Amino acid sequence: MAQPSPVFLAKAGLVIQLILFLSIGVLLFLSLIFLVWRSPRAEDSSAALVEARQALVALQTGLLPMELVGRIFAREDLQYVRSQAPRSVCAMFLSERKSVALAWAGQVRKQMLNLMRFHLGSARFYARLSFRTELALAIQFAGLLLACRALQLVLYVGGPYAAPRIVGATAATAAQVCRISERSLAFLNSAGLGALPGRPSGASL
Amino acid sequence: MLDRLIYLASMRDYNTGLYYHDGLAARFSQEVACEALADCHREVFRQLVACSLENVVCQMEAYMKSTHTSPDEFLAAWRKLEPYRVAVPVEADPLSAQLLFSTFKIALAVLEARLNPRSRESDASPLRSPGR
Repeated sequence: MAQPSPVFLAKAGLVIQLILFLSIGVLLFLSLIFLVWRSPRAEDSSAALVEARQALVALQTGLLPMELVGRIFAREDLQYVRSQAPRSVCAMFLSERKSVALAWAGQVRKQMLNLMRFHLGSARFYARLSFRTELALAIQFAGLLLACRALQLVLYVGGPYAAPRIVGATAATAAQVCRISERSLAFLNSAGLGALPGRPSGASL
Repeated sequence: MLDRLIYLASMRDYNTGLYYHDGLAARFSQEVACEALADCHREVFRQLVACSLENVVCQMEAYMKSTHTSPDEFLAAWRKLEPYRVAVPVEADPLSAQLLFSTFKIALAVLEARLNPRSRESDASPLRSPGR
């Protein structure tokens, strides 16, 4: 059997090198296309901002004020119904408060997910949070979502008065996360944005 | 507060959501009157949501007496028509509205139980003292 000539071997080596470099070039080009495709477009970015701002307002003004949370889970109402009304009304009261409590936990979780999406996707483009703050926020988001799920389960099984400590801890942690998120969205609170026509007073976006 | 909520809601046009008050509009302007009434409505709603069930029951009882209708008729109408559902401000937080509707529903049931003590006796709660 004839051995390949040294010239042929040298040429084959060059072709292999060429194929290798071409492959690397194609890979780099595809990576570039992927990165360009992944970068947030203006409309996606503004939608994420509006969604995050709405979530923050819903949490701070609608879901987390202590007077509302305290009223939903107030034991004095249960004691009053027990002392004033028959068992059927007590059962109705517990069922009604249970559905309100479940709705509260579900809403807090939903709005937290909206805020988390904003932080995962585009917050770093608008706010320079330190690595430590971002890490703390990620841990708080994870704990909060887990706590909301656990709370929903406990409320569903045990009723509205089954887990007052989890309710308190969830509300406190959610308020803390809101404060950090507020810093990320603080640039929206300019006087000019607040004065746009057709916007309800008190809301920036 | 319940009577104020009903009164303020009655000043709102259901088709436009705008509040009308001739006296205020003549003294200030229609826009200013509308905004002021909307603010009052929101504030009364917020205060009512924060009230305890006992307080809401008392307010409902007082309101029922002020209407000069028979308690049975009043309770039946409120239970069937649920007029409080159209009495909340437009921008009311849905969860607060849900809580208030729920509180009204329970308050009606408590008042009904008070008016018909026989049903209460036959359905006595085990948590109450046996002497009652």
